[in-house]
Amino acid sequence: MAASKPPQPLSPAPAGTDPRVLRRAHFLMRLSRAWDSRFEAMARVGRIGRWYSAVGNECTTVGTSLALGANDAISTVHRDLGAVLTHYLDPTRLAPGLFEDGDQTEWDALRPPPQALLDQLASQVFGRRGGFTRGVDRSFHYGLIKPEWGIRHVGMISHLGSMIPVAAGLALANLQDGNDRAVLGFIGEGATSQGDFHEALNMAGVMKLPLILVVENNRYAFSTPLSEQYACEKLSDRAPGYGIAGETVDGLDFDAVHAAMNRAVQRARTGEGATLLECMLPRMRGHAEGDGSYELIPPAEREEYLKQDPLVRFEAMLVDRALADVERVKEVTEIARGIIEDAVERAMATEEPLIDEATRPVFAPGEVATAFARQSTEVTGG
Amino acid sequence: MAETTYIDAIRRALGEEMDRDEAVFLMGQDIAAFGGAFRACKGLFEKHGRLRVINTPLMESGTVGAALGAALVGKRPVLEMQFADFVSCGFNQIVNNVAKTYYRWEAPVPMVIRLPFGGGAGAGPFHSQSPEAWFAHTPGLCVVAPSTPRDALGMLKAAIRDPNPVIYLEHRFLYRREKEDLPEGDLLTPLGRAHVAREGKHVTILTWSWTLHESLAAAEELAKEGVSVEVVDLRTLSPLDEDTIFTSVRKTSKVLIVHEATITAGFGAELAARVADQCFEWLDGPVRRVAYADRPSPYNKKLEQSLLPGRERITAALRKLARY
Repeated sequence: MAASKPPQPLSPAPAGTDPRVLRRAHFLMRLSRAWDSRFEAMARVGRIGRWYSAVGNECTTVGTSLALGANDAISTVHRDLGAVLTHYLDPTRLAPGLFEDGDQTEWDALRPPPQALLDQLASQVFGRRGGFTRGVDRSFHYGLIKPEWGIRHVGMISHLGSMIPVAAGLALANLQDGNDRAVLGFIGEGATSQGDFHEALNMAGVMKLPLILVVENNRYAFSTPLSEQYACEKLSDRAPGYGIAGETVDGLDFDAVHAAMNRAVQRARTGEGATLLECMLPRMRGHAEGDGSYELIPPAEREEYLKQDPLVRFEAMLVDRALADVERVKEVTEIARGIIEDAVERAMATEEPLIDEATRPVFAPGEVATAFARQSTEVTGG
Repeated sequence: MAETTYIDAIRRALGEEMDRDEAVFLMGQDIAAFGGAFRACKGLFEKHGRLRVINTPLMESGTVGAALGAALVGKRPVLEMQFADFVSCGFNQIVNNVAKTYYRWEAPVPMVIRLPFGGGAGAGPFHSQSPEAWFAHTPGLCVVAPSTPRDALGMLKAAIRDPNPVIYLEHRFLYRREKEDLPEGDLLTPLGRAHVAREGKHVTILTWSWTLHESLAAAEELAKEGVSVEVVDLRTLSPLDEDTIFTSVRKTSKVLIVHEATITAGFGAELAARVADQCFEWLDGPVRRVAYADRPSPYNKKLEQSLLPGRERITAALRKLARY
């Protein structure tokens, strides 16, 4: 340690998160919200079959994933669009007018042109040719692993809880490679009741894996309330049982979410192991749009949740800290809306997948794939 | 040349592939210092350390899921299920996550899941099963079951090198009973290729693993009676080497399918269907099966032996079939 102290600032730094992080978070949260607004509207008129809205989760998904760096990994489920956008996009190239010199990070420079990725994501949701799976799997059921872009993303299967051990395996690979990368996995509180939650967190504790598991606790799993899901007070109470760190934070408090995540990332990078981070969220939407699950929640309770909009709270904080004014908030909202509208329009104009995609290979090229293709029963049967 | 047992061959394959490729690592219960319940991994922990020979807690689903995560970022995990029977605890990860990944988003999943399986040891309902059909039914999984030390070695090495998930069924009864002189060198057995273990003219047996040896003994018996039996060792069940199977059946015109797994919806049913479909004009008799009765495997050895499809039952079935 140096003997002399660094020079002290003349006035103390303002409390809370770095303004550059807040600027980026604001745009990403608005982008996520604009996306949901657009798809919710389409779900209402039957333009898409089903929509699982992330409204209410933005502060948590963006606040946590903004603490990661290039080639940290994320594993997401269906209300984590905010984390996907945060992990994939260079916002400074997507909306240059909203950012300042120095806002572009080294990781941003590695990332591909953001518009192309956003278009691909929109096509994915529509099951179109241009999507990540070219029509064979649903909205967030895919992955994108591009170390050269700093992107490591593993999407979901429908079995909620099944991705927790996979996230642990991504963390295990980091341990084996001796690097300091972290893995951020998302689940809802319902998935904490599954066996994979236990097996993965126990393994993470035993092996000191650089894993952060964020539980987006929005109080209902489909229609099942907390009282029928678990009997402990907080889900983070389970962490000591696995020998890992645990915290529960208000998932609407950006500073708290981001700071807790930074602590967890620090633990992961320094070999201290895994963290279970529970973020409490309001249930602002049903399981899927129009499935009747939201109406089952008592009206007074619903009303309370709808008052807790994370975007409203975040923007009030920006104004309060003089980091934005009402005009700026409006500008960010409008630009985000425009970007999403355009991406969705372009995706809707793209082609359906080629019919041959249905019978594309189940095996990666090699001996097994060749043998599979030789069989008489392949594709048509008989 | 040294005499190598079936389990020595497995150990040799693991060791050679770990030496060849840093990405290869092992996960399983009690596999580190202990070397695994059957000692298949003996000595590898001492050589490669705890990050490449990983003792896991008592779990299957978590292990398969973690292996998937590691495989997605370039590792080549080789998992040991302590007994094949326990793989049911990891079933969802295998059939829904591992098997479907490549089709869904074209990410290769190089992974081998070793399943010590099969009966004959009086080990009861939960240490004796033959679960190959569960996996052969799932698109995206390669299912192999070597019968000899040579193939145990060559197929495990090939499985580790393939960019796809491979279910590797290794028969416990063969571990120390089957021995072979194996040369040094990089011995590979291609995946997806059956092997004619005995040539014959009158009847074809389609089989794999322990029942291959029982079938060869039965074929020897029938030879004394003037019936020439061809025995095809499938080696890989999925994807299936239809060329070798159909060529043999079209030559002999009669087919007996022999497997240790229970008969109803066993893999033999799939073989029978494909043979009926593709070899109908050549057949001179019914497609018959000898397999385990539709029962769990009983503990008492005499009870178990009464259900196992051994050489006597195969011999009897061959005699009947030969009369057509």
